[in-house]
Amino acid sequence: MKAVLQTINPWGPLLFGLGFLAPLFATLVAQTGAAPAIGLSPPQFGFALGAAWGLYAKLRGSWL
Amino acid sequence: MSMTIDATAATGENSGAVRKELIRQEQTIARKYIGRFPLAMAVWGLGNLLCWLALWPLVLANLLPLWIAFPIAIVNVILCYLPSHEAQHSNFARPGESLRWLNELIGYVSTIPLVLPFKIARITHIEHHRHTNDSELDPDYEARADTWWQAILEGIRRRQPGRPKSYAVALKRLGSAPGVNRAVLEGFVQTLLYWLILSALAWSGYALEAALIWWLPRHIGASYISLFLSWAPHHPANEKSRYRNTRFFTSPLGNILVMGMEHHGIHHLYPAIPLTKNAAAFREMRPILEARGCRFEHI
Repeated sequence: MKAVLQTINPWGPLLFGLGFLAPLFATLVAQTGAAPAIGLSPPQFGFALGAAWGLYAKLRGSWL
Repeated sequence: MSMTIDATAATGENSGAVRKELIRQEQTIARKYIGRFPLAMAVWGLGNLLCWLALWPLVLANLLPLWIAFPIAIVNVILCYLPSHEAQHSNFARPGESLRWLNELIGYVSTIPLVLPFKIARITHIEHHRHTNDSELDPDYEARADTWWQAILEGIRRRQPGRPKSYAVALKRLGSAPGVNRAVLEGFVQTLLYWLILSALAWSGYALEAALIWWLPRHIGASYISLFLSWAPHHPANEKSRYRNTRFFTSPLGNILVMGMEHHGIHHLYPAIPLTKNAAAFREMRPILEARGCRFEHI
């Protein structure tokens, strides 16, 4: 189990981006009524931004 | 020798006999505050957790607006560490005592809002006590910063995924010590569960609730805790001796808002004295602490 967890851990930022940030951004877009770029729906926008930011954090080692 | 302390003599000559007498007096005072069950801390730990848990059904059932739950959750996260801290020092019950289960329960559950695994907290905190302000061995040394706002920024930097975690470094160093592997495993599982719960809530349509009751309060609370529990009492973290590695300080916020940390020096001298007794012990012990050359500062 420890080995499995240690394998998952380095991918934490990406998983967090997809698992939590994506639906959070989708909700924020939907609730504010903002229109995402290039005709994306709120869930698509949330998924794209969450994945991109999570990958950025994974590669750079920082969310900032 | 009289119980009265001649601070001038103590600081001037500091002979072995004077030092011995100061220690005897110090320990006599400390013993008065050690041993009683810290009921207030137990109520604090479990009550605070129940309050935070209650936010979820109240908000999800639309009985409490999220904008009210958010600041309450921040306060809950800020308050959740110190009861666990008592449990880390076994101040509710020592191994083998009848209430040991309660000590461990408070340790494990009170920091759920902060997502701080109890056994990792206990191991690394004991290391902090053993090696306070040691740049290599103190897991809390990274809280060091020149100013309070730099301490907050540094705390945010420390939480970034690519930064080496001082707690992980300490655990790796202690690798063969009993309980370390178990603590690491529990830490992984607890963090994973946190991610899974946040994600499940978010994908179920409760992303804002998850963000404002747990995720964001956790980050704000972690910064506050790090500032007042790690940075303020040890700043500038360049002295390692028993009487000077932690300072007594006064704060414009007052002792309550800094969670009793104005007297954190008492805790480093006698960790078995509960937080709620530190101020009283400090008042009684102050002449001895002055004679010992303790630091008294204002932030």
